[in-house]
Amino acid sequence: MDLHTVTEVISPARPGQWRPGDAWLGGGTALLGEPRPHVTRLLDLAAAGWPPITVRDDGVEIAATCTIAELADRLGRHPIVLQCCHAFLASFKIWNVATVGGNLCAALPAGPMISLSAALDGTCVLVGPDGGERRVPAAGFVTGEGTTVLRDGEFLRAIHLPSGPLGARTAYRRGSLHRHGRSAVLLIGRADPDGGMSLTVTAATRRPHVFRFLSPPSAAEVEAALETIPISGYVDDVHGRPVWRQHLTRHHARRIRAELAV
Amino acid sequence: MQVTMTVNGTEHTREIEGRMLLVHFLRDVLGLTGTHWGCDTSNCGVCVVWLDGEPVKSCTVLAAMAGGHEVRTVEGLAEGAELDPIQEGFRQCHGLQCGFCTPGMLMTCRALLDRNPDPTEGEIREAISGQICRCTGYSSIVRSVQWTAAHEAAAAATKEEAVAP
Ligand SMILES: Cc1cc2nc3c(=O)[nH]c(=O)nc-3n(C[C@H](O)[C@H](O)[C@H](O)COP(=O)(O)OP(=O)(O)OC[C@H]3O[C@@H](n4cnc5c(N)ncnc54)[C@H](O)[C@@H]3O)c2cc1C
Ligand code: FES
Ligand code: FES
Repeated sequence: MDLHTVTEVISPARPGQWRPGDAWLGGGTALLGEPRPHVTRLLDLAAAGWPPITVRDDGVEIAATCTIAELADRLGRHPIVLQCCHAFLASFKIWNVATVGGNLCAALPAGPMISLSAALDGTCVLVGPDGGERRVPAAGFVTGEGTTVLRDGEFLRAIHLPSGPLGARTAYRRGSLHRHGRSAVLLIGRADPDGGMSLTVTAATRRPHVFRFLSPPSAAEVEAALETIPISGYVDDVHGRPVWRQHLTRHHARRIRAELAV
Repeated sequence: MQVTMTVNGTEHTREIEGRMLLVHFLRDVLGLTGTHWGCDTSNCGVCVVWLDGEPVKSCTVLAAMAGGHEVRTVEGLAEGAELDPIQEGFRQCHGLQCGFCTPGMLMTCRALLDRNPDPTEGEIREAISGQICRCTGYSSIVRSVQWTAAHEAAAAATKEEAVAP
């Protein structure tokens, strides 16, 4: 969609260039998909040429500009990565352009890259206007529907996924009104080699909720953890009512607990 | 701003407004109106072109983002008067009615066959998800792709026989 108010595109963008009215540009699939009358300049991060995936001793670093197609291609051997890519309900024409970072920053409840990075104890690497970096847990990056911890002039540079959680056993459940519908609930359980387990609730809720258990939890412990999400914390839109999302969250959490217990 | 990109093998340099979308650059600046423009929101797929060999929806890609890259449009499918087999497949099997969705369908289906020469019906239907045919001619489109796949397989077999000692 032609964004009529945009007067300039800066490509590639660099830290420090942001000013009010600017928007960082990833793949543009969300940004250029609807009117944005307040945007006057686009700062193109996709042209920065960052390597999409960098393997490190302690895990992998996914550049914010890595596309969904590149992620599926390079890390799809991990079932949870591929499952989350497929939870991105778009054809490969969109996968070829949409970025992992754009998915986190758009902060839609049904953002599967938010689910993935929160469930795998990811860390978001943010770059400020002075070029300085700060790191925040991916689980806390999205603060609500469409909102993140990003400050003015700050952009998401990368997501670091530690190798332990990336290699751990996971259980995945997704629910939506239609098989090909937008995720109304997306839960990921993770069993760690030390006996601990985590349960990540996304899509159903306005922001990710990650529950950690030091040992495999009982059904009552899982129920009690989910009770801490208030009903106002569930999303209310055409893709599902809060009570239904809460019900599905509990249902899938029970299934995940059972799956990881064996 | 100045943008340079290669479209169907020819390099083009033009002065454009930074916000110009690739679909408008192709249609309005280069006059390549084969690429259609529909929903404008990345949903209907009529604007699909290839960017460095990968199909993308040109209504949500800026021309600036295609700068320095290779673009292929539906005009780049045929070689002179010889239609690409996917175009021939659509012709043989009535894969188009009004033709509005056709350029995007052709670019997507060509890309599918290049990476998977023998797709199942399910794979064809999955590949054309995100492509809307308002004439609802999906069955003929699927048949067109199947015709092309069979035709290309037969052509490849004949070629192999010809070079066999
Ligand atoms: C057919 C279709 C299906 C879709 N399905 C889904 C879906 O299932 N789930 C879902 O969540 N979304 C979906 N989307 C929306 C969108 O495509 C995705 O959220 C996508 O991942 C956005 O990535 P992008 O690179 O295109 O982001 P952009 O459109 O470039 O940017 C999105 C937002 O993030 C900001 N931004 C981008 N990168 C950065 C960065 N590195 N640092 C700071 N800010 C940044 C932009 O300023 C903008 O506000 C869909 C879209 C379409 C067209
Ligand atoms: S015009 Fe691009 S997808 Fe509809
Ligand atoms: S042939 Fe008319 S839209 Fe597909």
